[in-house]
Amino acid sequence: MTVPGTVIGAKWPRGDGHVKAAGSARYTADMMIDGALSGVVLRSPHAFARIRRVDIATARALPGVHAIAFSGNVPAKPLDFSIKDQHLFPPDYVRYLGEPVAAVAAETEAQARDATAAIIVEYEPLAPVLTIEQALAQDAALVHPDWQSYERRESSVLEGNVCGRNRIRRGDVDEGLVRAAHVVTSEFTFSAGLPGYIEPRCAVAHAGKDGTLTVWCGSQSPHGNRDDLAAFFDLDPSKVRFINQYVGGAFGGKILMAPEMYAAALALQCDRPVRVAWSRHEDCMHAFPRAGGSAVFTSGADADGRLLAMRASFVFDTGAYIGYGSGSALIATMLASAPYRIPALDLDGTLVYTNKHIAGPVRAPGAPQANFAKELHLDELALAAGVDPLDFRLINAWQDGDLSPTGQRLSSVSVREALEKAAAAIGWGRPLPALRGRGIAAGWWFSACGTSQARVRVNADGRVRVISGNPEMGTGAAAQGLPIIAADALGIDPANIEFALADTGDEAPDDGAHGSISTFSAGQAVAAAAADARDQLLAQAESMLEARREDLELRDGRVVNAEVPSVGASFAELALAAGGSIEGRGASSGLADPEIDESLVQGHGFAAWPAASFLATAAEVEVDPEMGGVHVVHLATAQDVGFAFNPAGVIGQIEGGAVQAMGWALTEELKYEDGALLNPDLKHYLLPTALDAPRITAIIVERPSEEGPRGMKGAGEPPVTTPAAAIGNAIRAACGAVPHTTPMTPERIWRALNPNLRA
Amino acid sequence: MSIAPAKILASLSINGSVVECAFNPNKTLLEVLREDVGLTGTKHGCEMGHCGACTVIVDDLPVLSCLTLAVESIGHEIRTIEGVARDGVLHPVQRALAESGGAQCGYCTPGIIMSAVALLEQNPAPTREDVAQGLSGNLCRCTGYTKIIEAVENASAELRSAR
Ligand code: FES
Ligand code: FES
Repeated sequence: MTVPGTVIGAKWPRGDGHVKAAGSARYTADMMIDGALSGVVLRSPHAFARIRRVDIATARALPGVHAIAFSGNVPAKPLDFSIKDQHLFPPDYVRYLGEPVAAVAAETEAQARDATAAIIVEYEPLAPVLTIEQALAQDAALVHPDWQSYERRESSVLEGNVCGRNRIRRGDVDEGLVRAAHVVTSEFTFSAGLPGYIEPRCAVAHAGKDGTLTVWCGSQSPHGNRDDLAAFFDLDPSKVRFINQYVGGAFGGKILMAPEMYAAALALQCDRPVRVAWSRHEDCMHAFPRAGGSAVFTSGADADGRLLAMRASFVFDTGAYIGYGSGSALIATMLASAPYRIPALDLDGTLVYTNKHIAGPVRAPGAPQANFAKELHLDELALAAGVDPLDFRLINAWQDGDLSPTGQRLSSVSVREALEKAAAAIGWGRPLPALRGRGIAAGWWFSACGTSQARVRVNADGRVRVISGNPEMGTGAAAQGLPIIAADALGIDPANIEFALADTGDEAPDDGAHGSISTFSAGQAVAAAAADARDQLLAQAESMLEARREDLELRDGRVVNAEVPSVGASFAELALAAGGSIEGRGASSGLADPEIDESLVQGHGFAAWPAASFLATAAEVEVDPEMGGVHVVHLATAQDVGFAFNPAGVIGQIEGGAVQAMGWALTEELKYEDGALLNPDLKHYLLPTALDAPRITAIIVERPSEEGPRGMKGAGEPPVTTPAAAIGNAIRAACGAVPHTTPMTPERIWRALNPNLRA
Repeated sequence: MSIAPAKILASLSINGSVVECAFNPNKTLLEVLREDVGLTGTKHGCEMGHCGACTVIVDDLPVLSCLTLAVESIGHEIRTIEGVARDGVLHPVQRALAESGGAQCGYCTPGIIMSAVALLEQNPAPTREDVAQGLSGNLCRCTGYTKIIEAVENASAELRSAR
């Protein structure tokens, strides 16, 4: 029997499991739209060059060509980011190898490719800025020679190649370091990495004769993208419709529009639908990767291993344009000292432009990098102090009432519980064979709540439908989480609930699936809509059954008399009596930012973290010192989600996050030579396979937050933030050395073990 | 300038039926299945043989349809994800994946299922390592493989007990 309040918190299969296993789930590239033209993008062959001339005349006259979009015939304004540094097609300079300079729509893909080859672009190649060192050099060439003329938001920072800078300062670091019994300095470099979704991006756009524009795509943020696209092309947003299909993974890589913009630019110039489907190579060439960067840490502890002071400095390479890249440096300084009590802090983060791909908000931007550096560094300090790494963390861990780096009073702090549970899961402290080691790492994260509206409709056939603009990108937050929340309010099995893929035409706007936000914002909206639907069902039953509200209850899709359950009416009957359907409406109620101490922060727009969550990962690895190989034996992550609406979903996030993080830790790296990406494919950019997958233990910790619905905390991103650090520390425990560079490849491990030998 | 070769007319044996179709002889089996036969359950993730999303079964062996020319498959038995369920009833491997959370975004899922079905036909009682080996050509970015491997193990137990 299913009654309200019994669904949430139990494990349920996903609503989209059947269609996905049957092969009938439709992704964007599966849409075979009649008459669709093929859209192909022409990309810059230079990392940095001045554009002298673009001539499309020859190409335009080729057979089958319907439209060519380029800087001369699309809106001249820059794209609307915090710094207006980017155009859809650059009019003056190309700033990375692969940057789009034009797009062609033709009858066939081959014709479109032929036409792109016939577009004449005259370039004047310039010496590119390829590394952080080059970008920050005294006499550095400028990635944006005209930066001083850019419009930008007041909160942004721009000084030549520096496009972000923030600092958190508390107490006297020099004094703390002088007082310390142990002081350690460590330096790190991080690789840039792909989001790694398996579905290459695709979009189809069609401009109707009535001034409408329809875009079929797989976006993480269909409503936000719709508004941005409409604003760029000067269209009425109510006439632009984004219809999401199933999304084959995203991980932050499908928040910024890409094929959607080119398909739209072309569709607006012809009367046929235009399909832009990227090959894997193109998808890599136009990816928005996790930012590479570097960090330097100096910290001190007293003789007992109590942390006294930390100085940490990060620089991230955000590539050619700001895009949504500014998060990495902001998040890194928030993580650099956390979740540990350190009285004196000086933490800064800098973002620089280079002539490389535009870094994007890949799942927990900046966080695996920051935690890797911080946790390896702290192990070095624990080692110097002669304290076991787990004890070192337990001694210093935040507790209820402590202050965050920016002076936020913390509550429902579960750092110790997470550390202890993760450590216990891998048998911390028990003897291990030679060349095996264990490592541990902890972190924290925020919750976010955007605006979201939802409807829950009970139809005359008794079916219940959840309508939300929150896109299902694979996590199950929409396909599994939202039906569970609605089913809980209505007292039915979630299998009886249909969910809708996001469609801006449904008028259920939502801020999108990013920032671990979905269950918070869309979940609250659906809960409110389902409660509204429930109230309407009860009101209808009152008159139909001539009963008093307090005598009625919901049970298995019926409203019944609680005393005499045989007396009642089904949802279908109630919907019919109400005129065919009953529809509840709801909206998210937001999440207030906690108070911080503004005097501690400079240039930091992301210093207050509501409904903060905590987690720890423990790793066991085996190292082959001859070859430098690492076998990850076991990863255990204990993650505090406050309250698990959908435990199966949380476990899926922890398991998937663990292996993603392991990939970034050990194999994943975008390699460049002279600005050219050397590994734009899945043979040379190595994602973990089933053979690499370790044993994973996923532990849900529930320490309810004061702010979240039922105590919930954001869950999607944290699991990717700590495993790389735990693996690094386990490597050192196994063999006595660890590279301070990701990925920790066999060669780098071998070099760390043999610092005086040449390979 | 690209020259499009003339289409050929061929019959392919797909999921137990003979399908007549016209396609360019330079097309891969993946392209013909998706574009000319209309079976879009088979996915593409790289079209270079690196991801496994396009796996189909040809004469009982798992094959990467992106590396196979459609003309090579003439005269062979092709099975795709659409032919795995019987009369709308999911195969135990499909059901186990659907119910266990082994399909998150679901994009790798058809390829994983084809590899797993082929594996269990060859080796009805695989060890965990056998399963991981059998799926090692199929990349999944969402699940960390844990639930996928468990699902295939569960399906193998179910298939054996039904025998
Ligand atoms: S599409 Fe065939 S292996 Fe990737
Ligand atoms: S479920 Fe997304 S790639 Fe496997």
